[in-house]
Amino acid sequence: MYKRRAAGALALGLATAITVVGCSSSDSPNSNPSGDGNTANGEPVTITFWSWPEGTDKTVEEFNATHDDVQVKYTNAGGGDESAAKLLTAVRSGEAPDVSLVEYTTLPSLIVGGAVMDITDKVGDIQDAFSPGAWEQTTFDGVVYGVPQDVGPAAMVYNAKAFADAGITEPPATWDDFRKDAELIKAHDPKAVIGAYPPSELGFFASAAALTGSKWWSYEGDAWSVNIGDQATQDMATFFQGMADDGLISTDSLLTADYNAKLNANQMLSWTSALWATGVVQGVADDSQMGNWRLARFPQWEAGKTAVGYQGGSAAIVTASSEKVDAAMEFITWLNATAEGNQAFLTNSGAYPAATVGQELTTSLPTPPIAEGQDDYYKLAADIASDTIGVSWGPNVAYAKTVLEEELGKAIQNHTSWADAFVATGEAVKKDLKDQGYNVAN
Amino acid sequence: MTTTSYPRSRGRAPFRPGGTLILIAGAIYCLVPVAWVFIAASKAPNELFSTFTFAPGSGLISNIKDLFAYQDGQYWYWVGNSALYSGVGAVLSTLVSAMAGYSLAKYTYRLRGVLFYSFLVGILIPGITLAVPQYLLMSKLGLAGSQLSVLLPVIISPFGIYLSYVFARSAVPSETMEAARLDGASEFKIFRSIGMPLMVPGLITVFLLTFVGIWNNFLLPFIMLSDQDKYPLTLGLYTLLAKGSGEPALYSLAITGAALSVIPLVALVMVLQRYWRVDLVSGAVKG
Amino acid sequence: MTTVAQTAPPKTRRRRSVQNHGSAPYWLIAPAFILFLAFMVIPIIYTVWLSMFAYRVDSGGGILAKRVLSFVGFGNYKAVMSDSAYATGLLHVLLYGIVAVPILLGLALIFALLLDTVGVRSGGFSRPAIFIPYAIPGVVAALLWGFLYLPSTSPISSITEALGWGTVPFLNLPWIYGSLANIAVWGGVGFNMIIIYTALRSIPGEVLESARLDGASEVQVALRIKIPMVIPAIVLTSFFALIGTLQLYNEPQTLRTMSSAISPTWVPLMTIYRDAFMTDNLPRAAAASVLLALITVIASVIVMAIARRRSAK
Repeated sequence: MYKRRAAGALALGLATAITVVGCSSSDSPNSNPSGDGNTANGEPVTITFWSWPEGTDKTVEEFNATHDDVQVKYTNAGGGDESAAKLLTAVRSGEAPDVSLVEYTTLPSLIVGGAVMDITDKVGDIQDAFSPGAWEQTTFDGVVYGVPQDVGPAAMVYNAKAFADAGITEPPATWDDFRKDAELIKAHDPKAVIGAYPPSELGFFASAAALTGSKWWSYEGDAWSVNIGDQATQDMATFFQGMADDGLISTDSLLTADYNAKLNANQMLSWTSALWATGVVQGVADDSQMGNWRLARFPQWEAGKTAVGYQGGSAAIVTASSEKVDAAMEFITWLNATAEGNQAFLTNSGAYPAATVGQELTTSLPTPPIAEGQDDYYKLAADIASDTIGVSWGPNVAYAKTVLEEELGKAIQNHTSWADAFVATGEAVKKDLKDQGYNVAN
Repeated sequence: MTTTSYPRSRGRAPFRPGGTLILIAGAIYCLVPVAWVFIAASKAPNELFSTFTFAPGSGLISNIKDLFAYQDGQYWYWVGNSALYSGVGAVLSTLVSAMAGYSLAKYTYRLRGVLFYSFLVGILIPGITLAVPQYLLMSKLGLAGSQLSVLLPVIISPFGIYLSYVFARSAVPSETMEAARLDGASEFKIFRSIGMPLMVPGLITVFLLTFVGIWNNFLLPFIMLSDQDKYPLTLGLYTLLAKGSGEPALYSLAITGAALSVIPLVALVMVLQRYWRVDLVSGAVKG
Repeated sequence: MTTVAQTAPPKTRRRRSVQNHGSAPYWLIAPAFILFLAFMVIPIIYTVWLSMFAYRVDSGGGILAKRVLSFVGFGNYKAVMSDSAYATGLLHVLLYGIVAVPILLGLALIFALLLDTVGVRSGGFSRPAIFIPYAIPGVVAALLWGFLYLPSTSPISSITEALGWGTVPFLNLPWIYGSLANIAVWGGVGFNMIIIYTALRSIPGEVLESARLDGASEVQVALRIKIPMVIPAIVLTSFFALIGTLQLYNEPQTLRTMSSAISPTWVPLMTIYRDAFMTDNLPRAAAASVLLALITVIASVIVMAIARRRSAK
């Protein structure tokens, strides 16, 4: 009798568990029979949208207020390094939104994860709204996977007042000038450094390397090439290592409490990254810093050049599981390619638009308080944004980021060669691609 | 705390200053950060990095107001969520553990050995091994991101079951159960009216350990939840801290939130520790 | 003293096993069983199953071919064991453990002995005070100590700065190991102290009295009698400390927001998190989880075995 009871209880338990797991692997519910953005019976089509920049909820409200046929339900999915994986999991479990914001660096990994819909046929109308450089970040092998939303053309923000106190009147045009300025700064105030270059900044190093024509990931035909360890990158690494060894730059993390304190104490004097840096610096600066900072061009390796790469920036995609593609595209078009949409996220979130019309809008904005006094701030920004080199990303950028952080971190701690750290990273990234089954040319 | 009473000293004990000082030093070491968090919570954001660490500031009220106002009162969602996950979770877990422990201790049946050892092995499994596949399971069930996805997994506590088993064995006499059976009581009635009341002191221990364990569990909600309104307090404070890198004013909110959260937790633990049976825990090892 | 970890249920006498209590025992254990199955057994089975797969693409699929789950047997395990991130993580955990565990247990033992020592006062204040950190979750504790370490808010650094010695690099290498260990020690000493103290209180008074009568000093009584008699409690606390060390996560993850010495893969759990949630390599995270679980189980068994031998002496 016990055996039967026991077996019965066991079977019941197992059956319950299996039923519960099996039953609920639901397929994506086909909720809208018409499938497209057409309202089936006068009801607006509701699409779901994941994003994260501050103020996006207001932008979405503006869209909803001005559109009858499509309504957007916004979820703050939080940005950061995990956002791509979250989206992938959501797609795989059938819970994905229709539209999502994604960073350019993660787009290829999302594509190979099967999360992104091919929208090549849907972007004909807005082809001219963006520069070829912008489209390059969302187009692979002729297939368009997303619509650029904001971009981060490489630029530099610096504490002009502190620079002037150290005897520097012009921002550095080349990296050699940058180094000379760093020496002047250190001579003036031993506690100050010109900037911080921690191992977590893969985006910066990629953008700086891109100036030399180095393409960390590139493809030809059906094969990838990985060049994170090429000579140009190694030379760049050696340059920065020299500066670190001489105490001219810090290698501590950006935007920690310590970094912010130094910034406000005029001991952290510049940030070479992208146009969005102004907003971030303004967020951590206290009142004493307002008006002291200026926007400048990203330093070049070769004097006279002006084209720069990108660091950061994001695009809007339609997820592969979405069944409301037309409605999604209507929203994306409004958001990313029209003046109204660009104005909305420019005002609410402070992102620098990718669309030409958006960039033109910025020139009518007042200079940000932290750069008060630089009247041509937005004109300079627009100039910078118009002269860009593409930065290409592969399917394993997230992996590369952690490997670089580890390898370069070790090199910094142990005082070994930074160049070797980049080479090692390149090898690991290459191996990772090969292990996954991709063709790797080199 | 149960102690065997026996003469600890004869007559007047010699005062030992050395030992006393060490103990007091230890106590101070343990209290310093707690004192700090209250002092720091009183500093306005611009005072946080500029005034001496232990000098009280002037911003306590404004910090508290800002904390409650953050994201339209998200702090209260966090408090409520923690009460749900830890409070309700620990109650349910203690109940489930009590039933299971009692069953293992006071009855014999075919599967008992298997179940007992299974639970024992379960104690050794590190939480992380489970958090990720639990997340996948919840995704399949469509529950990922819901409060249930954090509440359900914390209810099962093999350690709690084991403690309940040990306590049920020692605290509930089989003779009393027999007598009740002879009087015609059903097994459930026996459990409810005899077993549970006798197990209460041990169950308080189980509840306390489970409550603190769930409150301290960072990884599970971190993985399961994406909607910040569903975060428990610890996760919410971590988010404030992480965002603080771009918005330093959030550091003060995180500190204030931490200070406020410490009060009820310490109060709870202090109250319950008078009743709990730590010898139960060490006795569990002695077997 | 009874043997340690004598955890097998007592053998039942034949008489009892005949009794039939109906289905009540099963119903009582059913909720635990179902939850155990759903949230422990099935996830573990799924993890092990998943760990045998990996995302692969067809070589002929073009540059952005979709990745699909393919069977790779022990490939992930090999990859994990040769991944420097995991190896470094284990090294960090080991170094951390060597610092944290002895200090934690040593202090817990000393405090417990002191509480139990005749003539040492302040127990009424010290005991609850030392226990309070147990109530503070790891994330909050790391937050508190993080600010106490941060050069701009640290009281110790402000003192050393005033003395002209500069700030103390708590958050840099090599101090970071000590700083992390300190958080664990601070948080755990109270709980472990109570466990050992309770065991001390159950030592029969006569044993201690006769030792004292023989002229033993308190220190000798502590070393020769008390400590040996509470070895099971010490083993229990070692066990908790060991598991806590291998599963270190909350504190380094929280301190990462304040320190640049902690990489994103500083401990094995962080690397597992990276694989699961940042590089979309859940199968590898699964393999690493299984390995970590195995290491934990083996280490626990070793600790138990040593304890059994010790107390059988």
